[in-house]
Amino acid sequence: MAIHTRILTQFLAAAIMVFLLFGILADGPSTALEGFLRLQSSPARLLSDFTALQGTGAALLNAGTVGILGWLYVKLNDIKLSGPTVAAIFTMIGFALFGKTLLNCIPIMAGVSLSAFIVKKKPREYLLIGMFGTALGPLVSFVAFEMGLAPALALPVSLAVGLAVGIVLPPLAIAMLHLHQGYNLYNVGLTAGFIGLFAASLPNAGGKNIDSISSWGMAADPWLFLLIPILSLLAIGMAFVCCGRKSWREFLAILKLPGRLPSDFCELSGPGGALLNVGILGLAYSAYVAIVGAPFNGPVIGALMTLMGFGFFGKHPKNVIPVFLGLLAAALIFGKALDESWVILAFIFGTALAPIAGEFGPAIGILAGFLHLVLVERSGTWHGGMNLYNNGFAGGLTATLIVSVIEWYKTSIER
Amino acid sequence: MKRREFLVHLISELSSFLLQEQPRKMVISLHQEADGIHLAVIDDRARSDVEIKAIERALNASRRPELAGYYGQMAGHDLLGSARLNLVGWQIKHADVLKNPGGGVMLNLWIGGEGFEYPKFSIDPEDEEET
Repeated sequence: MAIHTRILTQFLAAAIMVFLLFGILADGPSTALEGFLRLQSSPARLLSDFTALQGTGAALLNAGTVGILGWLYVKLNDIKLSGPTVAAIFTMIGFALFGKTLLNCIPIMAGVSLSAFIVKKKPREYLLIGMFGTALGPLVSFVAFEMGLAPALALPVSLAVGLAVGIVLPPLAIAMLHLHQGYNLYNVGLTAGFIGLFAASLPNAGGKNIDSISSWGMAADPWLFLLIPILSLLAIGMAFVCCGRKSWREFLAILKLPGRLPSDFCELSGPGGALLNVGILGLAYSAYVAIVGAPFNGPVIGALMTLMGFGFFGKHPKNVIPVFLGLLAAALIFGKALDESWVILAFIFGTALAPIAGEFGPAIGILAGFLHLVLVERSGTWHGGMNLYNNGFAGGLTATLIVSVIEWYKTSIER
Repeated sequence: MKRREFLVHLISELSSFLLQEQPRKMVISLHQEADGIHLAVIDDRARSDVEIKAIERALNASRRPELAGYYGQMAGHDLLGSARLNLVGWQIKHADVLKNPGGGVMLNLWIGGEGFEYPKFSIDPEDEEET
């Protein structure tokens, strides 16, 4: 096993263990298990904070098991752990605190593999689309548990919908990639939002209103508060234990990269530097959440997990700071409360636009952050909360706007 | 992806990479056989050994099917920003980067399926005579 694969394996195993252990310790094993089982049949659309719906233990247990599912999917496809695969597993774990469950992820992942077979490719070629594509898990749960179908019909129909969504995800994800040219790190977020527009319109056309869900936990739970700082410190500790002072040099090299998709920091720089980057991002944003007084609930921890995951795959302090400043400027100018649910999530997930700052400079990065906050407040309702990566959707639209203008300008003016 | 489209994308990304350094000359040579392809791109822009090593490393990136099948589709298509040779590297069998005596580099790329052995790839003598 290559050194960086071994280090990533150890870090991922430790992270999943922390989730499972905290899940069992937080509310006791039986409460956690009962809540975990109830979560499988719960509505999962945005914004359903599983820590508020079934308790911290159940939500953490769900996150840990979804993480294991992601890892198994990687193993079954005979792919080694790397920056992007760990980013995808961390994203799955994070969103399993507010939307993803085993039940709603599996049909989509199977559908994506089926899509590969249809075009005579190996499923491993669409592995990342399958993992990130679980953003549409709430659509599966919606068909199964919210549409009022007869129980005998609900599960097979939801399974079929999940498979169908999985089949169309790869062609759309590739098409969407060309829109923003890799400058939105959550490309499947844009794809899932696009599919979500149609998915949410269908029930509407049939006369069924999709009620919004607003579950946002406010409890100050020490298990949740400690989770990200512990994982961040673990990442920093592992960086120095495994790679010594070389980690710092690798981290400095990461800061010079634009972060555009696909930037595997483990390969481009080294695993020590990538781990250090992950730890620094996790600690910095945890501090920000604490400073503005937002709760460390399911969605916030989920956002922080995604941020840490993409610390292996595109984000670093130098390219996220301009986007952060743009978001802050927009929030202050438009008078948005910094601890409001969608605002705090936009601040963390908005870092999907970091490659714009990395490639085109801080001024464009600030503009991207500013535009993102303006858009993301509205975009969630467009897809009825079916797409968990609402910030990826808004970020994709923002990136497309900026990239299109820059490309037009460059191709028209430069000779 | 059809072979023609695949080649167009590879050539486009490689050209984009070489053209961003504004060479005065660039030559693209392609030789196709049923089981494999040899693609060579030559320019006249002088490069340091460090630069050449970086190019060689990017083009000989380890096989990453999970990236090639998805992000690899950006090769030669999404050209805003720096060219990215690793997108090409994930999709080819092997690459050699040679320094030209008169300055510049020659990128030799071998492309083929699982069974393709690039060291045995030889240009048909008849074709040689024609060229």
